[in-house]
Amino acid sequence: MKKVNMYALSTCPWCRKTKMFFTEHNVPFSSIDYDLADEATQAKISEELDAAGATGFPFVRIGEEIITGYQPERYSRALGI
Amino acid sequence: MNTESRKKALRYFFEKVVAPMGFKFTPDAELADFLLEQEVILETKHGIPFCPCQPLHHDRSRDMKIVCPCIPFHREHFDEIKRCWCGLFVHQDIVDPDSLPQLPPHEVGLE
Amino acid sequence: MNKKFVRAMPADEVAPGGMRVVEIDGHEIVVCNWRGRYFAVQRRCGHMNAPLDIGTLDGKYVTCAMHCAQFDVTTGEALSGPVPADFGGESPPANLSGYLEHVGMQMKHVRTESISTYDTKVEAGWVHVAL
Repeated sequence: MKKVNMYALSTCPWCRKTKMFFTEHNVPFSSIDYDLADEATQAKISEELDAAGATGFPFVRIGEEIITGYQPERYSRALGI
Repeated sequence: MNTESRKKALRYFFEKVVAPMGFKFTPDAELADFLLEQEVILETKHGIPFCPCQPLHHDRSRDMKIVCPCIPFHREHFDEIKRCWCGLFVHQDIVDPDSLPQLPPHEVGLE
Repeated sequence: MNKKFVRAMPADEVAPGGMRVVEIDGHEIVVCNWRGRYFAVQRRCGHMNAPLDIGTLDGKYVTCAMHCAQFDVTTGEALSGPVPADFGGESPPANLSGYLEHVGMQMKHVRTESISTYDTKVEAGWVHVAL
């Protein structure tokens, strides 16, 4: 299974839905809440979002693919589930 | 300070701002309530009700673009997806907000 | 202590959407007109005592001109505190920065309190407030 990493905000309901999607489909994933992270981590995440042209959360990386916004169909397709 | 009172006040102010732009509060009452509550939390912390779904950069020129309602700074994008990023606001003719996917600009032919 | 109504100002001197300050018996009171209904609050903002009459009344909400604290004039309830002057971490000019930082640090500890309200009635074309 492809690696799944995501960035989220503790205040964002779509990020919660995204985490729930992976949990319910038994997909292991790592997640960092941007707003709860330290300055250095925030700068790193911010750079990654800027590089991908993403301006909002959730920000999900499945393998090499980046998906911005809550898009369960694309998660399924990317994971082949 | 009372969260419910603050949510009511934000509703009052925001409605007046978004209506002339063709938006309204999402008919998904639960979602609206949750998002407003997050904005009150953010306002309590930062003094300003920021969007609960976009990153703060602690840089005025960037953060001003996510002060709710942030529609004016993302007009083309939000008009295209008929909602704002966090979904608090949708186009006035929308009755089924669940049908509006959360798509970034480059996935709707923008930027 | 028994409150009694005293004349504050002619009712037509504060139009819908407007505010006007009056001093009665040493009390500085702002009379607000929300769609033809009159409400009275203390003049001093519950944050740092700036005069609310030079703020903005929108509906039943008054916003203080000084730092934008907001109150419900029908209940006096404080709804939100000040908007930070250094929002976004912008650096002020070098010769001001130390002063502003210093003031900012002190202001961080200032609570925004709810404000007193006064019962009102309109009689014979005059707004009365209960003191």
